[in-house]
Amino acid sequence: MNTILFTWHTHSDTLSDFKHALTIAQNSGAKSLLLLTCSQNHYPEAELSSLLRACPLTIFGGIYPMLTWKNTLIKQGALIIGFKEAFDVTLFSQLHQVTNEDKLEDLITNTLEQKNNYCAHDDFLMFYDSRINNIEDFIDCLFECLDHGINIAGGGAGSLDFIQRPCIYSNQGLHSNVALLVTLPSKLNIGVAHGWKIFQGPFLVSDAHGQTVQGLNYQPALEVYCQAIESASEFRFNGSNFFDIAKNFPLGIEDINNNLLVRDPIATHNNHLQCAGNIPINSMVYLLESNSEALISSAEQAAITAFTATTEITSAAMIFDCISRELYLADKFEHELDTIAKHCPTPVLFGVLSLGEVANSPNGAIALLNKSIVISSW
Amino acid sequence: MTKALFLISLQHELAMAIGNKLDLKAMLKVFLKVCFSRLNLTSAHIYIYCDSSGMPHKLAALESVIYQHFLSIPKNKRGQPWQKNPVLTDFAQQLNQAQHNISFQCKNGQYLFGFIIPEHGLLIFETHYTLADEVQKALSPILQKLATSCYTSLVHDSLVKEVHSRQLIEEKIAFQAQHDGLTGLFNRQHINHLLSNAIEDAHRNKKIGTVIFIDLNRFKPINDAMGHAVGDKILLTLANRLHSLTSEHIDVGRFGGDEFIIIIKNLNHNYQDDIKDIITQINQLLEIPFVIDANSYKFSCSIGYALFPLQSSTVNNLIKFADIAMYEAKRAKSKQGKQYQKTMSEKIKRRLAYVDDMKQGLENGDFKLYYQAQYNHYGDIIGAEALLRWQHPVHGMESPSVYIPIAEESDLILAIGQWVLEQACRDIKKLEQLPLPQTFKKIAINVSAKQLIQHDFKDKIMRAIKLNDIPAERLALELTENLLVENIEDSIKLIADLKANSIDCSIDDFGTGYSSLTYLKRIPASLLKIDRSFVANIEQSSESAAIASMIISLGKTLKMDILAEGVETVAEFNCLKDLGCYQYQGYYFSKPLPFDKFVQLFN
Repeated sequence: MNTILFTWHTHSDTLSDFKHALTIAQNSGAKSLLLLTCSQNHYPEAELSSLLRACPLTIFGGIYPMLTWKNTLIKQGALIIGFKEAFDVTLFSQLHQVTNEDKLEDLITNTLEQKNNYCAHDDFLMFYDSRINNIEDFIDCLFECLDHGINIAGGGAGSLDFIQRPCIYSNQGLHSNVALLVTLPSKLNIGVAHGWKIFQGPFLVSDAHGQTVQGLNYQPALEVYCQAIESASEFRFNGSNFFDIAKNFPLGIEDINNNLLVRDPIATHNNHLQCAGNIPINSMVYLLESNSEALISSAEQAAITAFTATTEITSAAMIFDCISRELYLADKFEHELDTIAKHCPTPVLFGVLSLGEVANSPNGAIALLNKSIVISSW
Repeated sequence: MTKALFLISLQHELAMAIGNKLDLKAMLKVFLKVCFSRLNLTSAHIYIYCDSSGMPHKLAALESVIYQHFLSIPKNKRGQPWQKNPVLTDFAQQLNQAQHNISFQCKNGQYLFGFIIPEHGLLIFETHYTLADEVQKALSPILQKLATSCYTSLVHDSLVKEVHSRQLIEEKIAFQAQHDGLTGLFNRQHINHLLSNAIEDAHRNKKIGTVIFIDLNRFKPINDAMGHAVGDKILLTLANRLHSLTSEHIDVGRFGGDEFIIIIKNLNHNYQDDIKDIITQINQLLEIPFVIDANSYKFSCSIGYALFPLQSSTVNNLIKFADIAMYEAKRAKSKQGKQYQKTMSEKIKRRLAYVDDMKQGLENGDFKLYYQAQYNHYGDIIGAEALLRWQHPVHGMESPSVYIPIAEESDLILAIGQWVLEQACRDIKKLEQLPLPQTFKKIAINVSAKQLIQHDFKDKIMRAIKLNDIPAERLALELTENLLVENIEDSIKLIADLKANSIDCSIDDFGTGYSSLTYLKRIPASLLKIDRSFVANIEQSSESAAIASMIISLGKTLKMDILAEGVETVAEFNCLKDLGCYQYQGYYFSKPLPFDKFVQLFN
């Protein structure tokens, strides 16, 4: 079933262009609009927010570091996709204030209970503010409440400077500290991949709290991490090049079926490693490595999985591709997009470069991913 | 990773996830979440052994096994609770029967793996792959550790419960020590304590406070007539209403019975306005009818208050002063409340001195009985009412309307009443020795409320009759209408008992009270006395004549004689006669006379 009525993209960073396109979209006959814009646009927040609130159609989406349209990377600009159906959009707000698991469960349960027959829905897109530090607890809790059997694809919005700004779109305006769950009317097929493999380890996570690894093998985590890389590669840490080196060596948590859950070390603090996802204490982690070919190949594998799993007509395909892959692949990133586009059965192929990705694990649970690509189609 | 290393790391991670929380559910959830992510599970479940009341507890030998679903990740399966999932429920049952690890492949290709948590429950994993045999075996020491931690949590839970119930009991005891059992308001003891603190604060902060004393008017007759259950509900309703006045600076308590106290702190220079506001609010709270068991009751209250530290700085004095002021308000029938004034205490002192005078007068024989003869329409004396007179050594002849209410407030009325009874009997004895006309029947004495509620009142009467050896039918009692209504059941019984002993009773001041006709027909009285207020100028007042006529008809219907009091003119006499009233008492016939002069009337 083709659900797409309207597509529009631009490389322009002006709000007036976006506003103009929004007017056209509203007159296209579409009932829901997916709005994706680049963080580099720097739209005036107040004006943008009132534009969203004035929109009579159901809207959802967010501000991401970059966007993709077919095989093109959009570093500045915007994308609007219009759907025939009025999608159901659920906003979970003030998440940064819900620090306790029980309260989080109450928030999710109460929000979902306001929706009629929510359990009957199986396919979701998720847009969230990547600067919420308890997003993984939210995802775990969401899974516990929604249960397995659901299909979900999503990605963290925001900007590369890691400064929190409102970045999620809804009919109530522009939000921060929120997660948006969008119900899709047709089955969502997902392909997930990262392309990283074990390089060093294992290391025992002897001390960790949330996204911060304080100790590896009962030593300061940063020291162990740097020593492991320096002993087996040409890279040398000099106090200012952590991110340049670390983007090549993420951490990986191996599960019982030898699947690796990638965790990206994005900063250091007091000899600790700050990752873009939780690392459980007492778990075993590895240092991972990869190369451009492996990453692109993994993306192709994800595309094949996402696009060949169904016999139904695919009306749209959306990619949640980690921004770190673009940073790693640099000029070769467009190869990744070409490879995906090559397998895509629909002309409506678009995506975001995200700060964290969300998808189902093989066991059915929802997982927060790093340095991964989530390709979804419906 | 080599398989050995994987198993060791798995055991390590799971073992370290055990016992991180003390609460059983929280502890198991942490463990289950680690299992879930580390073992790549589709769902995970824990069943716990419970006692017959459904509380988790350690399985003891030879005990019947009751296990209950306790925890699952995710919480539900497609919106349905796991307890209703037949596959899982059957598997749990098989696992419990087997009491060792079992596994099962479901129709959808998923697997269930079951483990025993020794002596505490069942652990079930759902997977999309086969859990290797060595992994299952590696879980065995973990489950032993989990069982130990379960036991620790159970002990902890029971300790927490014990501490909690102890806390609840302590809180309850502390509450009971400070609160009134019926209304939940502060009790007298705690009100004293609060007032003491409020007085100190008032001194420290140079503020003014007040103690307001509230007494519910006419609560007692309702309580007596309708029973304590209704009375308690009324008090509880009032307490709840008064409690609504509570604030940071206002405390409300029950002083006892139908008496309540409100302490107001931190009043400023315009305190009189603030107090008036509160009194208005109290009156408004009372304006709403009290609907108890489908009956509606209306009440008013009397309010007195005293200021601290202006009028006193001691708890006892302040409460006493507010109480005195409340009595003044009650006497004055004032709804606005009265502030305590020194003159009120002086009045009380004078009153006490007056009571002492009365006692002295009783001992010195200063009280006398005067008799006002009662007549029929032929002019024959048919009886007399004994009336108390007191010759005060200083003030001269005192009016009964002054000293009787004072005597009634103290227990002196009992002594006076007893003296009246005995003196009347002595006088009857003297009369018996005279040639009395046949029309003369009896001497009536007035009875007070306090006498009436004496449990041995009838015995006292019978004793006095016996002691003076007089015919019982010569004595009659006069009870006011209000007095009867306030003690209706006891009054009916007493009047019936006296009637059985030939002593008649009359209902005095009839028409001024609000006796219900339902009650009236049950009272076995012999005589209704039309109040003097309806007799005065009856020939000129159609209203008085109508009331008198109605009382006369009522008397005929209830087979009671009718006597008109306060007949002072021939016109009144004629009018009453025309209306059908044939018995009279009043100055037109005879004024009250000392016994010696009364006796002369027979000549």
